[in-house]
Amino acid sequence: METMKIMLVDDEERFLSTTLKLLTKKGIDAVTAASGAEALEKLNHKHIHVVILDVKMPGMDGNETLKEIKKRFPLVEVIMLTGHATVESAIDGLKSGATDYLMKPTEIDELIAKAREAFQKRLQLEEKIHMAQSRKYMKSPREILKEAEKPER
Amino acid sequence: MKQNPYAGLKKVILASMNLVPLVPFVSVLGIGYYYFTDSLENNTIASIQRIVHDHRQMIESFLMERKADLEFILNTSAFEDLSRPDKLNRTFGSLQKESSAFVDLGIFDENGLHVAYHGPYQLSGKVYDQAPWFKAVVKNGFYISDVFLGYREVPHFVIAVAKINQGRRWVIRATIDTQIFNDLVKKVHIGKTGEAYLLDAEGVFQTERRSGGPLMRKDPDRPKYGPVHDGIKTFIDSDAHGKPFLYATTWLKDGSWLLVVRQEKADAFKALHQASYLIVFISVLGGAIIVPVALFLTSLIIRRMERMDYEKDLLGEQLIRAGRLAEIGEMASGFAHEINNPLQIIKSEYALVEMILADLKERGELKQSEDLAELEDSIDQIKLQVDRCADITQAILQFGRKEESVTKDIELRTFIPEVVVMVANKAGVHGITIKQEISDQNSDVHGDLRHLQQVLVNLLNNAIDAVIARHGSSGGAIWIESGPAENGQVEIKIRDNGSGISSENLKKVFTPFFTTKPVGKGTGLGLSVCYGIIDKMGGGMAVASQENVGSTFTIRLPVAK
Repeated sequence: METMKIMLVDDEERFLSTTLKLLTKKGIDAVTAASGAEALEKLNHKHIHVVILDVKMPGMDGNETLKEIKKRFPLVEVIMLTGHATVESAIDGLKSGATDYLMKPTEIDELIAKAREAFQKRLQLEEKIHMAQSRKYMKSPREILKEAEKPER
Repeated sequence: MKQNPYAGLKKVILASMNLVPLVPFVSVLGIGYYYFTDSLENNTIASIQRIVHDHRQMIESFLMERKADLEFILNTSAFEDLSRPDKLNRTFGSLQKESSAFVDLGIFDENGLHVAYHGPYQLSGKVYDQAPWFKAVVKNGFYISDVFLGYREVPHFVIAVAKINQGRRWVIRATIDTQIFNDLVKKVHIGKTGEAYLLDAEGVFQTERRSGGPLMRKDPDRPKYGPVHDGIKTFIDSDAHGKPFLYATTWLKDGSWLLVVRQEKADAFKALHQASYLIVFISVLGGAIIVPVALFLTSLIIRRMERMDYEKDLLGEQLIRAGRLAEIGEMASGFAHEINNPLQIIKSEYALVEMILADLKERGELKQSEDLAELEDSIDQIKLQVDRCADITQAILQFGRKEESVTKDIELRTFIPEVVVMVANKAGVHGITIKQEISDQNSDVHGDLRHLQQVLVNLLNNAIDAVIARHGSSGGAIWIESGPAENGQVEIKIRDNGSGISSENLKKVFTPFFTTKPVGKGTGLGLSVCYGIIDKMGGGMAVASQENVGSTFTIRLPVAK
């Protein structure tokens, strides 16, 4: 069984480092990114299941980053982390493909719980994809071979 | 004191308000007066002229008739017959039947000898050939004398007619009773003071004047009548006593007698004076009405304008204040948002500290001690206080956020407690208890949650302020009740035991910009906006209050379908 890998994206360095320590202590495999650009860069190299993304960041903000992630890595689950209590900005994120949202200040346990939920969703999705591919395989091995030529993600 | 900006306008309005009615008013009166006086003067003068004319004709015809009477005797009787007293007597008798004005009758021969006489005096035998009247009658064939005293010392005048008959010239002469003639001339009555009289060429009264002027006395006003003229002359002049009269004069008897008809000017133009008085009275009255009315209306208009100006200024101020408030609200939500970031970090740090502490304890590196307990307690406090901060920022963000009006069904049972939480802190600080009585069968209402929230928060805040004003920081209470009402409505009641609202102010509480708070403290918009929101939701809002007892605001909203 695959273990969950999450990435924390926020412009607050201290938040990143402390939360990383907490997550590590809780046995969760996590990486951090200080900006949207950095997050996208890291997603290129690392296999990440869930991204926890701050909405308000200098440079590329959360919503933009979310769109970009969904464009390039559609299977990555994203949880928006908003300092704004408005449901609206969260709804914006959900419309753009975010899985869920968290309101600052959030409890670490809540964060982990939501991340796990998202991860489960991701697993289910992967399962479905796997099943679909299996069916394809049964029908046309050639097509599967063709599919295999393309990168998985 | 600043210059009144309406001083100029006030003058213009006042001037136009006075002039616009006054000009036609005065014009109408003036023109009316002019034409009225003109026509009245013409009428008065025409009527006095007509009287003079008629009167002259009457006098002249009287004289001519008497002359004709004598001529008839001359033509029908012989000199010899008339020289006989009995015959003369008979003739006089018939003459008197003709006119009682005849006093006596005398017959004269060509030498002026008084041949026969019938009358009250013994005059026969006298010779008159040198008397001016005799000369005149011989020369002209007839003669009418002025009034004179003669031998008799009684004013009288005579009419004499001459005739040449069978080569003999003889003259018949009659004396006219001045009393009858006098009455004839005097009988003219015009108004109170109108009178008529005759003067001779010298100005001696030939008939009495009613207002004083006995026979044979000279009229001191004679020079005013001027020389002999044709036709009728009218003029206004003062008499010897200085009284102004309207005169009409005409000469008769070939310029030897002057008929004067006169009336006191005041009497003649009495209607004119009355009209003048009336016009003056109306003018004064009109002015007395127009001027104060204009003053009143002007000050009314100016006051209105000043009030409007004041209200405009106030509105401007309120708008600026409202704008500033909105700005502050936005800033506040910005701050709240920013504060959430450090709060997040503190929370994470707390979690880390807690975790490390737990690890340390687990590994036995920390022994249970009083210090450790205190440390843990302190760390718990950090979490508690961070959560409290988070609640505050949430509340600010919840309230200050900007969004489109989104209507949905609102469940009052959960909604009201949420709103109460927002003000609970403020109320608690001032020792105010908020009691909620929310019916279980409470129905939903439909509307914008944020707006309804604003209404309730506003009412609760007002209640808190009112309670603080009365009780200070203890003893205050606020009740918020909710339950179904008739006509498919729900009712939310917010009641307090605060300072209440005076009955005078109670009427105005929902008026925009009405506030009892000091300048800068309240916009006076709160309740009017609340009213607008509730109205828009199809509901109604009412208030009941008693000073120093408390106020109750009642909201009724239709139940959502």
